Amino acid sequence: MYRIGFDVGGTFTDFTVHDVRDGSLRYFKTPSTPADPSEAIEAGLRALFGEFGIAAEEVSFVGHGTTVATNMVIERRGVRTGLITTKGFRDVLEIGRQTRPSLYDYSVANPSPLVPRALRIEVAERIDAAGDELLPLDEEAVSSAARRLGEAGVKAVGICFLHAYLRDAHERRAAEIVRGILPEAYVSTSSEVLPEFREYERFSTTVINAYVGPRMERYLERFLARLNDLGATVPPYTIHSNGGLMSVETVRAFPVRTCLSGPAAGVVGAAEVARAAGFPDVVTYDVGGTSTDVSLIANGRPAFATSRLVADYPVRTPMVDVHVIGAGGGSIAWIDDAGALKVGPHSAGADPGPVAYGQGGKEPTLTDANIVLHRLDPVSLLGGRMTVQEAAAHQAIEEKIASPLGLTVEQAALGIIRIAVSNMSRAIRAVSTEKGHDLANFALFPFGGAGPLHASAVARECGIRRVLVPQEPGTMCARGILMSDISLDFVRSEVVQATEESWPGIMERFASMEAQGRDWLDASQVPTEHRTFARVIDARYKGQNHEVQVTLPDAGGFTLAEFRAAFTVAHRQEYGYDVPDRVIEVVNCRLKAVGAVERPATPPQGAAAAMPAPRASRSVHFDEGWRNTPIFDRVALGAGLRIPGPAIIDEMSSTTVVEPGQSVTMDAAGNLILEIAA
Amino acid sequence: MNAMPSLSDPIAMEVFSNRLLSITEDMGNTLIRSSFSTNIKERKDCSVGLFDAAGRLVAQASHIPLHLGSLMGSVKAVLQACPIERMREGDAFVCNDPFLAGGTHTPDIAVVTPVFIEGEPRYIAANVGHHSDVGGPTPGSISGGATSIFAEGLRIPVTRLVRAGELDDGLLNLIAQNSREPEERALDLKVQIASNERGARLVQGLVQQMGLAAVIAATDDLLAYTARRLRNRIRDMADGSAQSSAWLDDDGVGGDPVPIIARVTVEGETLVVDFAGSAPQARGAMNVAESALRATVYYAVKTLLDPGLLPNQGMASCIEIRAPEGSIVNPRFPAATGARSITCNKIARALFGAFAELLPPERAMAASLDSVPVIIFSGERRLQDGTFVYLESMGGGVGARHNADGMDGVHVHVTNTSNLPAEALENEYALLVDEYALVEGSGGAGRHRGGMGIARQIRATRDGVIFSARSDGHRAGAPGLFGGLPGGTARLLRNPGTPQEEELSSKAANLVLKAGESVRLETPGGGGFGAPAERDPRALAIDIADGRFTIEAARRDYGAPLVVRATAED
Repeated sequence: MYRIGFDVGGTFTDFTVHDVRDGSLRYFKTPSTPADPSEAIEAGLRALFGEFGIAAEEVSFVGHGTTVATNMVIERRGVRTGLITTKGFRDVLEIGRQTRPSLYDYSVANPSPLVPRALRIEVAERIDAAGDELLPLDEEAVSSAARRLGEAGVKAVGICFLHAYLRDAHERRAAEIVRGILPEAYVSTSSEVLPEFREYERFSTTVINAYVGPRMERYLERFLARLNDLGATVPPYTIHSNGGLMSVETVRAFPVRTCLSGPAAGVVGAAEVARAAGFPDVVTYDVGGTSTDVSLIANGRPAFATSRLVADYPVRTPMVDVHVIGAGGGSIAWIDDAGALKVGPHSAGADPGPVAYGQGGKEPTLTDANIVLHRLDPVSLLGGRMTVQEAAAHQAIEEKIASPLGLTVEQAALGIIRIAVSNMSRAIRAVSTEKGHDLANFALFPFGGAGPLHASAVARECGIRRVLVPQEPGTMCARGILMSDISLDFVRSEVVQATEESWPGIMERFASMEAQGRDWLDASQVPTEHRTFARVIDARYKGQNHEVQVTLPDAGGFTLAEFRAAFTVAHRQEYGYDVPDRVIEVVNCRLKAVGAVERPATPPQGAAAAMPAPRASRSVHFDEGWRNTPIFDRVALGAGLRIPGPAIIDEMSSTTVVEPGQSVTMDAAGNLILEIAA
Repeated sequence: MNAMPSLSDPIAMEVFSNRLLSITEDMGNTLIRSSFSTNIKERKDCSVGLFDAAGRLVAQASHIPLHLGSLMGSVKAVLQACPIERMREGDAFVCNDPFLAGGTHTPDIAVVTPVFIEGEPRYIAANVGHHSDVGGPTPGSISGGATSIFAEGLRIPVTRLVRAGELDDGLLNLIAQNSREPEERALDLKVQIASNERGARLVQGLVQQMGLAAVIAATDDLLAYTARRLRNRIRDMADGSAQSSAWLDDDGVGGDPVPIIARVTVEGETLVVDFAGSAPQARGAMNVAESALRATVYYAVKTLLDPGLLPNQGMASCIEIRAPEGSIVNPRFPAATGARSITCNKIARALFGAFAELLPPERAMAASLDSVPVIIFSGERRLQDGTFVYLESMGGGVGARHNADGMDGVHVHVTNTSNLPAEALENEYALLVDEYALVEGSGGAGRHRGGMGIARQIRATRDGVIFSARSDGHRAGAPGLFGGLPGGTARLLRNPGTPQEEELSSKAANLVLKAGESVRLETPGGGGFGAPAERDPRALAIDIADGRFTIEAARRDYGAPLVVRATAED
């Protein structure tokens, strides 16, 4: 039997196949088909079934990472959506937090709300902060709002009332009325999508859910039909932003939870690979064409966040904390009129791309610098599928950078790389210091096609001493899906002081969420022994508006005294101090229902018999100048092998550069470990 | 063609610049993460900077433009009070006073720490944070009606708070106990000291990594580069001079509108900004101390000429500021300076107006709300477990630009503060939000429309809620540019929509609300850009459909023919 994970990226759809009998992993890649992403999935599966000799019936698990919802928001391709909201609050979606996105640059504006003002309709109703009804729902107004929205051609409706996280009766009744009048419409209520306090983030998340809902449904239908055509009979899972798997039915109801699908899987996979390799503290670094994703894993656990922006709209849902840096292989090098060399923020992206790709790119990029210095193969890339025009890259760097600065082309290319590395390093340091971590205690875990290319330079600049390069770094997200469990997040939101009187009620919130979680796990057919319920309380000192997360044990009771002690520890960890005797407020109670997915371990890498002969060698330019450098195929390497730099290690999805003076070893799991000299 | 300078090593400079900015970002993160008060932790009303031993600003991480370059005043004052050769390793200084120590207003407390390299003081780490209360008669220590600095809480001249690593507990306690929230003050001051210590360690690490000579060379390159970059932008402007004015509704206490006059002169590669003709210093707290004035000027220059410009001494060296002594922009002791942010935004209006005449139209921006409207409620908490003071600083409409409408409902210029969500405030306080919305009809008409103001209407749910406001722009709207019309004015109403409705003054103070009574502040909109008749009819049709103004207002401001075209196309 086989377990298959795949991740749909902007350029490629990546597959990882796990053979359950011997635990081995195989990787595959096919160009993405943005118009209908399921097309590349089908094509890829067909091709890899043929290549690896797999029959559809032998597939016991299918999990996928998708950017369908995210791209719909970025490209504004969702459906026409209406909003029904509490009287007085139709502009909440537009005012947001009343801040401008850039302090000094007024050409950067907030995005227009996904629901235009004309389609945001107020109705009389009101719940107060105690959850009491101040004003009953004006059902007549809801009906007329629904009719107006219907006439305006909306295909989805968000229903967002104030304090609905405390009492959802008005939202539920309004949804019922809207569904009666607009039976075809996709309806989302804020109390279902995100029952958490703070109206703007809740409304925004609910509206995005509605906006992407109908087209996500259609995509899922096509996806299921194609799997069916292939003869795959297992129900597929989708990875959600929190790094867990969920069923197609859940995605249909909560598509907004997939907004960080692929990157989350990559981080979850990285955490597991790193922990198994003996690296509990790593910073992941995933370099793509236009951007770089960074996340922190401490004590083997990825950092989680509760919100982020998707195309500048806030989405609040539990998620793996991934920071995006606007620097990648396509970042353009240029000289400003005061004589400084800059790399980025503009990017040549995939189109026109780097000069060396010969697709019309005229501006020298980071990738061009790597080609000119032969860090990347100056003849062809992607296993020979793409030819490289080194001379064109050379000429562009010479004309635009080297001559104006009075440098040689090699000096200019080295400068471009040094600056790009320092830009990335600054962003990585910022991500870690925001959380109070010291990078010296971390290892760097590069993935994505271009991560391992700069990893040792980035590590050196950040004061990191070890780098762990996983197998096929370019398919880490697909591999991570195979390491994920199925899970669903629940939340109860009400601000109460943590006292002996309130504590039983707080514990009661967990009991009711656990009951919901059990129902969901029943529906997902997870056997009892594979279930866990992870519990977290978001809490703060009275007077603060900023919560810290306190993790409770998975099962059993938890006393107020234990909670106070755990809060103190969490506050110290997060902020460096605690305030004894200050009142603590509980804000959100969160429960994650987890169904463990069985997965056999990957077998150990065979030990190296002897030092393999390099596949080839070429002259590569390092800080020390041109050096004749051996090129190894990664698949030819064995565990325990130590290769001195300079060396280049190629594999299907990536290239690892080992600089002179450094060395690389392969561990028992097949990871490359680079030791960085200070 | 701009002059291309010769930097000794542009690649090393760029790498160094990233390393420096990492240090200030790290200091800023440490300060924000570890602080207790909402003001620093959430509103990020704080800044950090690195200086060299001569007091030159090398790098700054400023989270609020009102702090841009403002640490220069504190560092200068510290160096005057204690020459660097008399500093010892482990010292840290504290100060806040606008007249004695280069402060901007009393709640902004700065901590300044020398950085020793091999036994010599070579650099200075500094930071400033807005403390929510430093004593005085008014909670928050800021009152528009304060008539002297002695009504604005504790004055701290340059004082050594840490001596060779030994914290002066008595002094810390003295500062803390002069505040209504002593625990917060002490915690946040300790965090400020620790943030500088962290910065010092990072600078020492950088010097160890690169060598002192290389750091000094790269610093000189970076300052020269920044100056060159700004000088190039100044050279792009035609030589000449332009003047513009902006008016405050009153001086904080009352009376007639108060003028701010800014004249900007391009003299080759230098900008001279002269405020001659501006009003005499205000009786109330609307005065702007030197550091706050400098921040506002730097903000305007950076925004209009080069948003990516690094704030360091290189930037400052191209700008000369002249402000007549005894005026609202250079007050004499003991003037009150607490409520300077409204005035700073009016200064920004005058500067933007003057620059609009000197820059090509695509860099210009019509006037915005150019105020920092504040409403303050105090009373009993919802669950009767104590009292509250709730301060909300509101946004409004931004001025339109050559290719875009102004943003609706955001903070402009020297501040950028988040709102408190309605659900959060109702949870805490005995208040209910009746409405939080954009003000229809408030965006100034134009080829591009000004942004809309914000209305916030709040009802007391229990007797005895005390309300005050500090607002402006109630008399005249934000002017449009190149034929654009002005934005809507601000309005403050008590019991709106009831027979008892009454309009209040922009500085209404200490009103006592009974349960069920409400107040509503509508903030100003932004000015339009270009003639309204030139607006794209499709954009006008969307505005009308969205109810951003009525069709009658559209006919009045945009003209009937355009409205006919717009509605036909809809």
